Amino acid sequence: MNAPTPWIRSSRRDFLGRLGGGLGGAALAQLLGQEGLLAASPANPPPQIPKVRRVIQLFMNGGASQMDLFDYKPALFQQAGETFNPGAGQRIEAPTSEPGKILKPPFEFRQYGESGRWVSSVLPNLAQCVDQMAFLMAMESRTNVHGPGSYLMNTGFLLPGFPCLGSWVSYALGSEADNLPAFVVLPDGKGLPYNQRGNFSAGFLPVSHQGTVVQAHLPAPMADLKAPDAAAYITPAADRAGLDLLEKLNRRHAAATEGDSRLEARIQAYELAAKMQLSAPEVLALDGESPLTRRLYGLDNTVTADFGRRCLLARRLVERGVRFVQIWSGAGGPTGNWDNHTNIQKELPPMCAATDQPIAALLQDLRARGLLEDTLVLWNTEFGRMPFSQGSEGRDHNGGTFVGWMAGAGVRPGVAYGESDEWSWKTGRDATTTYDFHATVLHLLGLNHEGLTFRHNGANRRLTDVHGEVIQAVVAV
Amino acid sequence: MSSTFHRFRGWILAWWLGMPLLCGAAEPHWAYQPLAPLRPPVRPETRHPVDAFVRARLDQVGLTPAPEADRATLLRRVSFDLIGLPPTPEELRTFLADPAPDAYERVVDRLLASPRYGERWARHWMDAAHFAETHGHDQDRIRTQAWPYRDYLVTAFNSDLPYARFIQEQVAGDVLFPTEPRATVALGFIAAGPWDESSLRDIREDTLDRQIGRYLDRDDMVTTVMSVVTSTTVHCARCHDHKFDPVSQRDYYALQAVFAGVERANRTFDVDPAVHVQRQALRREQRRVEQGDDTLLNSPEHLPRLIEWERIEAARVIPWTVLEPQILVSTGGATLKRLADQSVLATGTRPERDTYVLTTPLPSKTITAVRLEVLPEDSLPQKGPGRADNGNLHLTEFQVQLFEPGATQARELVLTEPSADFNQADWTIAHALDGQEKTAWGIHPQVGQAHQAAFRFKEPLTAPAGSTLVFTLKQLHGGSHLLGRVRLAVTDSTLPVHFLPEQIVRILGTPSDQRTSDQRRSLTFHVLAEHYRTALAQLPPPGMVYAAAADFEPDGGLKPSPVPREVKVLRRGEITKPMEVAEPGALSCVTSLPARFELANLREEGLRRAALAEWLTAAENPLTWRSIVNRVWQHHFGRGLVDTANDFGKMGGTPSHPELLDWLAVWFRDDARGSFKELHRLLVTSATYRQSTVPSQPAPTAQTDADNRWLSHMNRTRLDAEAIRDTLLWVSGRLDSRMGGPSDRQFDLKPGIHVTPRVDYTVFDVDSAEGSRRSIYRFLFRTLPDPFFEALDCPAGDQLTAVRNNSVTVQQALALWNNAVVARLAEHFAHRLAAEEPTVESQIRQACEQVWGRPPQPDEAADLVTFTREHGLPNLCRLLFNSNEFVFVN
Repeated sequence: MNAPTPWIRSSRRDFLGRLGGGLGGAALAQLLGQEGLLAASPANPPPQIPKVRRVIQLFMNGGASQMDLFDYKPALFQQAGETFNPGAGQRIEAPTSEPGKILKPPFEFRQYGESGRWVSSVLPNLAQCVDQMAFLMAMESRTNVHGPGSYLMNTGFLLPGFPCLGSWVSYALGSEADNLPAFVVLPDGKGLPYNQRGNFSAGFLPVSHQGTVVQAHLPAPMADLKAPDAAAYITPAADRAGLDLLEKLNRRHAAATEGDSRLEARIQAYELAAKMQLSAPEVLALDGESPLTRRLYGLDNTVTADFGRRCLLARRLVERGVRFVQIWSGAGGPTGNWDNHTNIQKELPPMCAATDQPIAALLQDLRARGLLEDTLVLWNTEFGRMPFSQGSEGRDHNGGTFVGWMAGAGVRPGVAYGESDEWSWKTGRDATTTYDFHATVLHLLGLNHEGLTFRHNGANRRLTDVHGEVIQAVVAV
Repeated sequence: MSSTFHRFRGWILAWWLGMPLLCGAAEPHWAYQPLAPLRPPVRPETRHPVDAFVRARLDQVGLTPAPEADRATLLRRVSFDLIGLPPTPEELRTFLADPAPDAYERVVDRLLASPRYGERWARHWMDAAHFAETHGHDQDRIRTQAWPYRDYLVTAFNSDLPYARFIQEQVAGDVLFPTEPRATVALGFIAAGPWDESSLRDIREDTLDRQIGRYLDRDDMVTTVMSVVTSTTVHCARCHDHKFDPVSQRDYYALQAVFAGVERANRTFDVDPAVHVQRQALRREQRRVEQGDDTLLNSPEHLPRLIEWERIEAARVIPWTVLEPQILVSTGGATLKRLADQSVLATGTRPERDTYVLTTPLPSKTITAVRLEVLPEDSLPQKGPGRADNGNLHLTEFQVQLFEPGATQARELVLTEPSADFNQADWTIAHALDGQEKTAWGIHPQVGQAHQAAFRFKEPLTAPAGSTLVFTLKQLHGGSHLLGRVRLAVTDSTLPVHFLPEQIVRILGTPSDQRTSDQRRSLTFHVLAEHYRTALAQLPPPGMVYAAAADFEPDGGLKPSPVPREVKVLRRGEITKPMEVAEPGALSCVTSLPARFELANLREEGLRRAALAEWLTAAENPLTWRSIVNRVWQHHFGRGLVDTANDFGKMGGTPSHPELLDWLAVWFRDDARGSFKELHRLLVTSATYRQSTVPSQPAPTAQTDADNRWLSHMNRTRLDAEAIRDTLLWVSGRLDSRMGGPSDRQFDLKPGIHVTPRVDYTVFDVDSAEGSRRSIYRFLFRTLPDPFFEALDCPAGDQLTAVRNNSVTVQQALALWNNAVVARLAEHFAHRLAAEEPTVESQIRQACEQVWGRPPQPDEAADLVTFTREHGLPNLCRLLFNSNEFVFVN
C-alpha cells in the first residue's frame, strides 16, 4: 500500500472537527499550534503532496441509463424485442415492474476521440471530452432501490445516518479557505434529490462537515448568512458594533475561566462568520463573469441555464478554496430526473440536454484556468437501468452495472476500466464497487480509505465500511 | 488465584456455550460480570456514597476536590439540568435568601416535581432511540401518529415509571400489559428509527431487495434496543462473529428473530381499557375468521346471525347481467383483450394516459344501473387491478352513450349516484362523474383484489333491440394509473346499489339445501367477517400510534405477517447465503440468563418480544442496570463513568470508577426500585455535582487529569439546541406551556413531486401558535431537519445518539447570530424588559440576570448601556443570546 495515511490523527481530528466550520485542518492547526494543543502528534509524518486538492462531483439523480449513454451494447440492437434470457437459469427481477422485452437504445452510438469511447447522440459535447476522462464501465451497487442506493453511493452504507464522501473529505482535509465552508452542495433548482439532505449529511461526524446547501436560484442562497429583513432593528451599524462588543464580553468571560478552548473557539467562530458574510455573496454573484464564459456554460439558454449556473458557481467555489462541491441534476420523484421508468426516448434527452454543454464547459474552463491540474471532476449516479423494458419504452432500476467517469487531477485520461456483460445487465469483468470508487477518490486526495476512520457506536466507521480497493487503472502514474 | 479461576471458568463457559473463543480472553470483561453488592469506602468527611467513591479516587491520584459552586451558579446548573430552563430572577432571589440547610434539596424536589422535567428528560431518550416523525429514506413520508410515543415518554418520566417497567412496556407492552393502553403506545420505541418505504412497501414482494430491506429493518430494531438498553454493539455481529466482544453471529440473528413478527406501522390502541378488552375479543374472533377456523362453522352462537343476515340480504341482491363487449379500443395504444369471463384485460404498451372505449350490445330490456368491476390479474403489477407500478388505477371519467339501430347520432346517458365498495382517500368514485379531468377514482392501498363501482341512470333506459352501449373510460391522471382488467354489467333492479362479492351472490341464489359444504363455509365466513367488521366499527374510534405492530391495516405491499417471518443466519450477512433458521434469543455472554428463549409457541410473535423484555430487565442482567445509571450520570456530569454510553464492549471506554458504577447499578435496581427521580436526587445532591467548575489548587494537569476523569471539579457544559430556544421563549415571556398532542410544524409544508413533501423553514412565522411551545414538541423531519437545530448539534434521528456532539462552528455562529428565531425573540425579550423595567440600567440588569443568571459587573454594565443607548434594547438582547456566558453552564 503506497497510499499515505491521513495525516491528522484521530485525537486531533476530533478536536479540529469540533472547531471546524469554514476553518479547515491546516489553517486551524496553525491557529491552535500556539496553544500547544496539537503538539502531541509528531508520530504522523506530513502527507505526500497529492495531486488532487479539490473535488467537483456531478451527481445524476435517479439512475442514469448506462446503455443509452456510454455503455454501447450491440446485442441490445440485435435482440431488441426478444425475451431477455441471460441463460443458465439466472433469476431476472426488476424492483418495480414485470421484466419486459429487450429494449433497444433509441439513440445512435459513435466512437469518439483517440480513445474511441462509444457515446450516444444525446451527449454531443461530452463526447468531445472522452479523451480527458477515465471511465468506470462496470460499477456495481448492492441495491435496486433509490433510497438505499443513493445512500450507498454517497455514504457507503445502505442506511441513513452515515457521513457522505464530501463530509469525509472535509473531515480529513478541512477547507483551504477560512471564509467559505469546506463542502458545498448545489441541488437542482427543482428540488432536493432522493433522501433529501440525507445524501449530504455529516452523519455522526461533527456538523461542520456537513454539506452547506447553496440554492443558487434563490434570493437568499445560504441559510442565516444575514439577519432576516423583518428584523429592521438589526442595522449594519448595530451588527458591527454588536459583534465587537460580543467579542469583548466573550474575551472577558474566557479570561475568568482558564483552560477551556471551546470559549476561544467560539470567539474565532464569530470572526469567521463575519468573514463569510462578506465573502459568500461575492462568490455567489456571477455578474463578474464575462459574456463569453456565461455563454460557454449555457447561461443564455433556458435549457442549460440552471445546471450551467451551478457548474460555473462550482468553479468559482473551488477557485476560492472550497474543498468539495457536489452538483445535483434532477430532484427526487418520478419525473424530471434520470429515473426514466416510462419512456427513455422522451425522458432521457432533456436531462442530457440540460447537463451536456455545462459539464463540457466546466471541464474546458477548469483546464483553461489551470484548475484541472489539482481539481478532480466526478460524474456519478446511484445505479443503472435494465436492458429490458418497463412498460414498453422505459427501464427499471438496475444496481447490477452502471457507468461513472472521472477527469482531471490524478486521473489517467482516456482509459476505461471494467466491462459489463453482453446486455449491460450485470458487471462482466473488473467490476468497481461503490467502495472501490470511494477508495479511489480518497486515494487521489492522498488519503488511505482504511485509515480514515471515526469511532461511532462501538465501531470504527469508514466511508468504505470493510471493503474497497483502489482502482489503480484509472490513477495517473 | 482468583484470576486463574476466572480464566478457567470463562473457558469452560465459552466451550459449553459454543461461544467464539476470543484470543487472549483472559479476564471476563467487566461489563458482563454479575453485579455484586458493594459498600462505599468509609470517609470521615462525607456520608454521601457518590462522594465517598469519588473522593477515595481523588486521594489516590493526589487531587483535591473543588469547593462548592456559588448558589447562583448551582441553581442555574441544576435548573438547566433537570428541566432544561433557567431559574427566574424570583427563584434566584428566593434561593439566595433561603437560610435553611435543605434549601438546595427543596429546589431539587421542586424541579423534579415540575412537568417541565419530563419534557427535558424525554428528549434524552428520544436522542438515544433516534426518534423522528418521517421515514427518512427517499420516500420521507410524514408519520402523523408518531407523537403519542413522545407523549408517552414525557408522561413516563414525569410519573417516574420504574425503569424495568419502562423498558418492558417499550419492548413488549402490548403483550405484558394488555389491558393498559399506555403500554401499547410505548412500542413507538421499536419503530422510532428510519424505515425504507420503497423497499418495504412499494417494490415487488418477490425481489431480493425486499428481503434485504427486511433484514436491514430488523437490524435497526435490534441495534436500537440492544445499544440503548444494554450498551452492547450487537450490530457488529451481522456479517461475522463480533471481532472484539463475545457476541456471535448466531446471537445476533437470534435477536433478529425476536422481531420477526413485527413491522413499523400505525397501530390502534384504546384509551378506555374496557373498550380495549372488547376490541381485543372481537379482533381475536375476527382473526379466527380470517384464518378460516372451521370450528366456527357450526357454532350455535352464530346460527341466528346467519339466518338473519340471509333474510335481509336475499331481499337486497341485485341481479347484474354481465355485458359482452364487442369492440375494444385503447386510444393510448394498449392491447385490450376479452377474456372468457367477459372481462377486458389491458396488455402491451403502457402509456402515461389512456382512454378505453368499449362497445357492447344492449340486453333487450330496461336497464337502471351499470356496474364496473376492476379485477386482479397475475400479469398486472402487484396483481392489479390497475397498471400503475403499485397496482393502482385512476378512473378520471366514466361515460355511457347509446346508439339505437339506424341512428346516426349517439345519445349521452346521464349517470348519477356513484358508489364503490372502496375509495382511496381523496380519490372517491364521485370524481369519475364530476367532469373534472384533474380528479379521479382510485383504490390504493387495497390493490391486488377486486373492486366494484356502480352508477345509476338518471332515468331508466329502455331502447329497441339491437341498440348498442358505448362506454368511455377516461384515465387521464398520468403515471400509467390505468385500468388493468375491467368488466361491465347492467341491471334492471330499482333496489339501492349494494355490493356483495360475486361468489356470495351466487351462493345466495342457490337454495340453501342445495349448497355444497364449500359454499356453506364461504357464506358463513363472509357473514362473520362482515359481522366483526361492523362490530369493530361501532366501537369508539381508537387512538393510533406509529409503533411496532404485528396486526395493522395493510398499506399496499406492507402487510402484516400472520406468523413471524423466518429469519436465517446469513453468511457474511449476505441475503444470497442463508444458513440455519435463527431461534429467538439474546446474548450468550450474559451467562446469568438463558441465551435462547423457551417459548410455548413460536408462532406467537408477542411471546418473543415478551421474552426479550424479561431478559433485558431481569435483576441478573448486569448490562441493563449498568447501562442506565451510566446514561443518567452522563447527562448530569457531561460525561459518563464509561464515556461510550452505547458500547460497554472491549473497544468501548472502561469505567473511570468501576465500583461506583456497580454500586449505583445495584442501588438503582434494589434500593431505588428503578426510580429515575431517586437517581437524579442522589446524583445532584452529591458534593461532586455541586462543585465549582474551577479546580482547587494544585489544579489537575495534563499529567494528572487534563480531561477531568477523576472529577476534581465540575465539567462546564454547553446548552443544547432545545435549551437555547426554550430559554429564549421563556425569558421573552412567550413560552406556551401546553403539553402533548400533534407536533408543531415549524415550517411551511407543500406537496412534493412524489412522496416527500417540500419543507421550507425560512418562511415560518416565529410568532405563530406552532412557534411557542417547548422544543420537544417540534415536528422532527428526518431528512430535512431544522437547520437552526442542526447547527446546534440536535440529531436528525438517522442514527442513535448516545451523546450529542458539542461542536463550535461557523455555521452555528451564523445561526445564532442571524436566524429568525433569535432575531424575533430578542425583540420580544426587549419589549418585555421595557414594559417591566423603567430605566435602561434596570432593563440591562434584569436581562443579564435572566440570561446569565447574574447581574452585570459595573464595567460590563457601562459597555452594555452605551451599546443599548446607541442601538436599542433588541440588539442588546440579541447580543446576550449569543454570549458565551449564556450558552455555557458552569
